[in-house]
Amino acid sequence: NGAAFSKVRGSQSGQDSTRWHVVRKFLGLTSGHNIPVYLIDPLILGLVDKDIEQIRSSPDGPSPECKYFCAPRDFTTFALLDKTWKHEVGLFRTAEKMGFQWLKIINKDPRLDGMDDLSGMEIPLHYIFKLASHAIHLVVFYERSGNFLWHGPLRLKQPMDRKFVPFRKLHFGRYPGAYEKPELLLVSIDDLKVQIPKNPSSFLEEMSHSRFLECRYREARAFFQLYPDDASLDAVEFRKKAKSLLHLAALTLNNLGVKFWLSSGTCLGWYRQCNVIPHSKDVDLGIFIRDYKADIIPAFQNAGLPLKHKFGKVEDSLELSFQGEGDVKLDIFFFYEEDDHIWNGGTQAKSGKKFKYLFPKFTLCWTEFVELKVHVPCETLQYVEANYGPEWRVPVKTWDWKSSPFNVQDNGVWPIDEWDNVIQIY
Amino acid sequence: MDEWKPNPTVKPHKKRSWYLAWKYKLMNQRALRKLCQTGAVLFLLVTVIVNIKLILDTRRAAYEEEEESAQDYDDEMLNVEAPRHPVNNKKVLDVEVYSSRSKVYVAVDGTTVLEDEAREQGRGIHVIVLNQATGHVMAKRVFDTYSPHEDEAMVLFLNMVARGRILIFTIKDEGSFHLKETAKNVLKSLGSQVAPFLSWRDMWTFVGKKGGEVYGEKHAKSPALSTWGDPVLLKTEVHLTSVEDAECHWPDTELNRRRKRFCSKVEGYGSVCSCKDPTPIEFNPDPLKDNKVFDVPVAVIAGNRPNYLYRMLRSLLSAQGVNPQMITVFIDGYYEEPMDVVELFGLSGIQHTPISIKNARVSQHYKASLTATFNLFPDAKFAVVLEEDLDISVDFFSFLSQSIHLLAEDESLYCISAWNDQGYEHTAEDPSLLYRVETMPGLGWVLRKSLYKDELEPKWPTPEKLWDWDMWMRMPEQRKGRECIIPDISRSYHFGIVGLNMNGYFHEAYFKKHKFNTVPNVQLKNVESLRKDNYETEIHRLLGEAEVLDHSKNPCEDSFVPDTEGKVYVMFIRMEQEADFTTWTQLAKCLHIWDLDVRGNHKGLWRLFRKKNHFLVVGVPASPYSSKKPSSVTPIYMEPPAKEEGAAAAPAVAAAEQT
Repeated sequence: NGAAFSKVRGSQSGQDSTRWHVVRKFLGLTSGHNIPVYLIDPLILGLVDKDIEQIRSSPDGPSPECKYFCAPRDFTTFALLDKTWKHEVGLFRTAEKMGFQWLKIINKDPRLDGMDDLSGMEIPLHYIFKLASHAIHLVVFYERSGNFLWHGPLRLKQPMDRKFVPFRKLHFGRYPGAYEKPELLLVSIDDLKVQIPKNPSSFLEEMSHSRFLECRYREARAFFQLYPDDASLDAVEFRKKAKSLLHLAALTLNNLGVKFWLSSGTCLGWYRQCNVIPHSKDVDLGIFIRDYKADIIPAFQNAGLPLKHKFGKVEDSLELSFQGEGDVKLDIFFFYEEDDHIWNGGTQAKSGKKFKYLFPKFTLCWTEFVELKVHVPCETLQYVEANYGPEWRVPVKTWDWKSSPFNVQDNGVWPIDEWDNVIQIY
Repeated sequence: MDEWKPNPTVKPHKKRSWYLAWKYKLMNQRALRKLCQTGAVLFLLVTVIVNIKLILDTRRAAYEEEEESAQDYDDEMLNVEAPRHPVNNKKVLDVEVYSSRSKVYVAVDGTTVLEDEAREQGRGIHVIVLNQATGHVMAKRVFDTYSPHEDEAMVLFLNMVARGRILIFTIKDEGSFHLKETAKNVLKSLGSQVAPFLSWRDMWTFVGKKGGEVYGEKHAKSPALSTWGDPVLLKTEVHLTSVEDAECHWPDTELNRRRKRFCSKVEGYGSVCSCKDPTPIEFNPDPLKDNKVFDVPVAVIAGNRPNYLYRMLRSLLSAQGVNPQMITVFIDGYYEEPMDVVELFGLSGIQHTPISIKNARVSQHYKASLTATFNLFPDAKFAVVLEEDLDISVDFFSFLSQSIHLLAEDESLYCISAWNDQGYEHTAEDPSLLYRVETMPGLGWVLRKSLYKDELEPKWPTPEKLWDWDMWMRMPEQRKGRECIIPDISRSYHFGIVGLNMNGYFHEAYFKKHKFNTVPNVQLKNVESLRKDNYETEIHRLLGEAEVLDHSKNPCEDSFVPDTEGKVYVMFIRMEQEADFTTWTQLAKCLHIWDLDVRGNHKGLWRLFRKKNHFLVVGVPASPYSSKKPSSVTPIYMEPPAKEEGAAAAPAVAAAEQT
């Protein structure tokens, strides 16, 4: 008897029972059409997370008070996995009968964006269901190559009612986002049965840095118009090896919980051509030194990638290199954060000379690359330009890591007595 | 009847005469004229400014949308109302139809809806169907009635057009040579006075409503066998009816809304648009128990053959175990009508801007479609690949569900295909039997994602290489000795006769008599025996059991195989080395099976049926199964045909490659 419940509780505490009613109606609507939505509203999940033990232990218990769905808000956010429903129009007709006004935000399908000249149907990215003074924001998630979920940005188009809801306040849609496939849990909160992510706190953590960057497919096509792709057998082979090395590296680092991003040539390949540069000969990753773990080296060795060399030390200019299959090398550069810039180091083995590569500060975004969900610097252009200069669009086949990079600086020489430690070659 | 008039002078356009009348009226008064001029200039200025602003704004909006930057939502919005055009309430269409030796055209209200002046093509009767309420073109066809059977296709088409539609006919070059009585009578029943007497190289145009009035007809007789009739230009008016009269009154359901959208747009699909008793567009076939391919995406590769696509999708959606959500139709080109068909069935469709030409275009379309399929269904391990000119067997998904685990587990497999190249009415018998073959038949097959992503996609032929995708896939560099699993009786049927490399003769000779399974729920026999090593055991068992045929007889004769049923027979042919198919090709020819290149072999062994007996052919000494040959038997050798015949056959092979 939820209506009575909310009347009493809602009026007592001066809370907004409208919201509770709208959410209940919405859940009735979706369950009536077999549409498995789940709650992703960060404010509610934040509250739920505090009581998660209790909620888990009593999945059916009646609530003594309306704790979660009665805080007066303009909207409540739910998620829907696209492949779990059939886009039936019946849903919207029922919604209208129940008194909902609804808005659909569609856009082009990013999964076809990378493809030459394909034009599919536009796909729904967001729905808003509004009833009385409350709105439900339904975010549609899509499965992407790389085993993750993606939601699109919310962009209004010409004839839409921009006052439909306070769009600026929505929690999802400012940027596209990337998420792991969540495990769900059916719970009863405020006497409403609703699915939530099994671990709300890790979902919220994920949400805080979920921003996703699409590869610049149009520019990549333009690049290949100018510089036709290398389709030789060698190139095909190298790309295949680089891809599997990157997959292995990602698996290894993700298992350790070490955050990494595409760096140097691998990052340039993603940014410029949405692919591995076939003449690059190695795979480059970046890791913040604060995320360094001693387990990294043994983990790679266990994954079948022997350490090739180790330059520098944790306090200064650390760099690891592992030998992948068939001559493809995995280089891991550790990045050191300063007040106004970030840098990584380089070491010349024979002379003990040190180098420093400077980058403007950056944050990390998700992207999809060779069927993998990986990080890249969000400020990719600045990152690439710092590294390769304004001419980064022009492919260069001869590359000297000591002199070619735009941002290289001499950084002295390692003291001879440290050489055994800071220059290790296997 | 044969009266010929010079073209009447063109009547001034209706709209213009109305405008002129006003103009002249106003011009009578000077003051008013001045006012008008000033008004016009002002109006012009305002229009220009508004337009410039609109262009600028639209550009900015487009730019901002593309940028995907984290713009504030408000900044992107522009409060520009698109200028509204007044609704065109005109009830009359001006129709012009031109017929001549080298050019035909049709214009509706000044818009050219057909223009064909290409050399060496477009011969025959062009037919256009207009919606009687909107005037929109609903169908455009050309029937080369100079050639045989095309008139039958035209009759079929005309019968499918709904009553009340406006039909426009015009002849290019020649349209009477094979226009038979039946067809002439149909034209006559539409109200044509000339059609029954149409003869060699006459020019003819006709506009009429199906089951209703005639709007005009013109004809120019050919004066002599060696010359054409004079060009004719028919100008007439067609009165439009109300939209309600042009539509059927089906109950208002979601399905019928789709049907309505479709039927008001296109024509020539027959009963799907019947007002009284429309054929269903949702099929709900029985689900399949323990369906292993329910989550496998299905890519339908299509061009601009919407009628084929319609037939194909009907059979696909009727197959047991189909999952419509997994189906994507990839259309090669920005064609509307195939997309209309896709939407009619509530499926999703993707259009592909054509790249390259001919075979390379098909090849690039395949690549884009396969890549897109695995992007759209990132969890999929396989994809089913179909083409628009296939019928799909009722047990297609059941067949795949029972065999797909082999493709997952047996690395020596390249594909599972629904098509047996050698499975003709007289050579296929057992719906529960599967084979391993070294050739890739295509025509309804399953592709492993890892094969595509790791091997094929990275080195797919680039557009400038004018290669057939399927020939490329059959090359040893790609196939690497792997085999495909096929059924004895095909689970697809190739009905297309209009295609890049297709013609009626070719279809009749090689596809028409192909056997197609119509039995539901066939339980496949001994699927495990299809694994690499098991299959060898199976073959040895079969050969051990097989009765050796009398090699002194002519293998082409029916009497070569005894009049028994259910037995296993073996014959040995000469095959000097792995690539020696001289005798096989001759044997295939006289057995009336596929002989244009070698198909269906497994280590120098072919398996088929003759007179309901399993019939094995072993190539000696190239095949490892040669050891089964009794020493007394001399392998049969058959002469290749004389040189010139071979030369003549060569282009046919080229034509057969992409089917």
